[in-house]
Amino acid sequence: MKHSERLELFENVRSRYSVFLTSVLWKLTGDKELFTEAMQYSLFGMWRNVEKLKGEKAGAYIYRIALTANSKAWRNRVGRNGEIPNDPIDPAEDADERLGREELAANVRREISRLPRKQARAIVMRYLEQQDYQAIAERLSCSKAGARSNVSRAMATLKSKLAALV
Amino acid sequence: MNDDKLEQILNSIGAEEIPSEAHRIAQDASNNFSKFLRQPSQPAKPSLWELIMRSRTVKLAAAAVIVIAVLVGLPFLPKDTASVTLGDVAEKLGQVKAIMYRMKMHVTGSMVPGIPQVSSDMEGTVIISDDFGMKMEMDTTMEMETEPNAGKKTTQLMYVVPDSKLMVMVMPDEKRFTRMEFSDDLLALMKKQNNDPREMIKQMMGAKYTDLGKSEINGIEVEGFETTDPAIYGGAMGNVKAAGGAMGGVKVILWVDAATWLPVLVEMDMTINEKTRITGTIYDYQWNVPVDKSIFEPVIPADYEAFPKEGMKMPEMTEEAAIEGLKIFGDLCGHYPKQANMMDLMQEISAVLVEQASKERPGDMTDTERVTKTMGTMRPIQSLGMFYMALVQDKKEPVYYGETVGPEDVGAVLMRWKSAENEYRVIFGDLSVGTVTGEQLAELEKQPPK
Repeated sequence: MKHSERLELFENVRSRYSVFLTSVLWKLTGDKELFTEAMQYSLFGMWRNVEKLKGEKAGAYIYRIALTANSKAWRNRVGRNGEIPNDPIDPAEDADERLGREELAANVRREISRLPRKQARAIVMRYLEQQDYQAIAERLSCSKAGARSNVSRAMATLKSKLAALV
Repeated sequence: MNDDKLEQILNSIGAEEIPSEAHRIAQDASNNFSKFLRQPSQPAKPSLWELIMRSRTVKLAAAAVIVIAVLVGLPFLPKDTASVTLGDVAEKLGQVKAIMYRMKMHVTGSMVPGIPQVSSDMEGTVIISDDFGMKMEMDTTMEMETEPNAGKKTTQLMYVVPDSKLMVMVMPDEKRFTRMEFSDDLLALMKKQNNDPREMIKQMMGAKYTDLGKSEINGIEVEGFETTDPAIYGGAMGNVKAAGGAMGGVKVILWVDAATWLPVLVEMDMTINEKTRITGTIYDYQWNVPVDKSIFEPVIPADYEAFPKEGMKMPEMTEEAAIEGLKIFGDLCGHYPKQANMMDLMQEISAVLVEQASKERPGDMTDTERVTKTMGTMRPIQSLGMFYMALVQDKKEPVYYGETVGPEDVGAVLMRWKSAENEYRVIFGDLSVGTVTGEQLAELEKQPPK
């Protein structure tokens, strides 16, 4: 494919999936710096694989690219163990409770970034995007039972990784 | 954590609204990338974008290796520079699964106050495999007036074994070996994927650099890049100024193959504190050399002694470890270190330890006891240096006031860095920690230490 054709395809894809990428990556990172890095990796991944982003499977590829980008961004956050900067303070909320909740959410996000790809996709679709198992099965190209199994395995992995925290 | 709690957290993440700032960042990143793709030179160097994005990682890796070198052989600090480059190259292997190269270093001066002037030559071979780890074999010839082995060549072998989270130094001349455990953070650095050899180009792009244009080395057309920006070493060397500066200078020239963008030669020249000069070259790069796992397995003959017996641990890069380092330094000296960058820190603590050692009577401690004690003191202090480096490289705007703030300055800001928009993390003189707004910080910093 010529460079100009790749460019045109890339522009179409990025315009079509921009909102989706922003939403998924923000929910996976919850942090400006991580989000920026994951977004850049995603764009780079889309460019490298732009030939594959034609047709029906584009969405699935984008998903894969986004999750890989998220994992890379988290891995790059070395030395800080996934520490997340705090959001602006809500004065009505108890500070300890808020910090505890944020820390838990940050740990859950970090562990999602370490899940096997299929489990990560399943858990993101199920909980972060609130999709039903039928939709997950279609996106993962598996049966409904398979989708449930991936979600359940991801939950088990997350639970075991986070067991010491709560 | 039970299912309900986990589901609750996941659902709450799912229900989060996407802030408008995220959309703006996404739009900016997307537009910038698109603009980048449309640059005329883009097709020739498609990976440059990715390389640029990893600069922090590369600098941290380099910094980590500095620390390893400092930890291993304090009196022989010349090894630092060799290792900086080693760390860089280890991060630059991209599609290359194994690389071998040679290096030469020459050091003159004294990096540690109290240690006599030294002149040494080092020459060695390094082999790095993405799959198996790293092995470095280095011959060092020391010239030191008080050194009984002056002029004698000594050999050191260093192995990094990622699977075991271990670094092993073998010193055949002394029939000793040292085992060091990696923290997870440092291991992550050493195991970074995609070690693209072109990372060095990007690293230099992260600093101020000059394109020297085309030249030829051994019949290969090369392009040169030169930097005199001390930023190339991240936050590790606060007192290394640009060439011509009052304190010293740094110059690194990278020659890359104009066709492949793989490094061909690196030339380094660094002056620290107007006294110590380190010059060196890295050359004879061989890409994708065949490797066998056995090459990377430390060979330790049965009659070699572990030194120290219980091994050592690498420093951690956390806020808590940094505070512990400040506390240990404060307890030892009655004040905090003047600077938080690694090189200044190491010089300052080394001077203290050298003075302490001079007061000891012969036979007070065995060599092992002395090394264990020294490392026990230095490790948390190195953590402070590493933590500070990470903050510098993360652009968290760290500021350190060790020269004016002491343990008695309870409410004074000793160190601070940006933790979020208009939010700063502060370590106070009494080593308590807090988070303040920009306005609160400005007020705190107005107050002179008591």
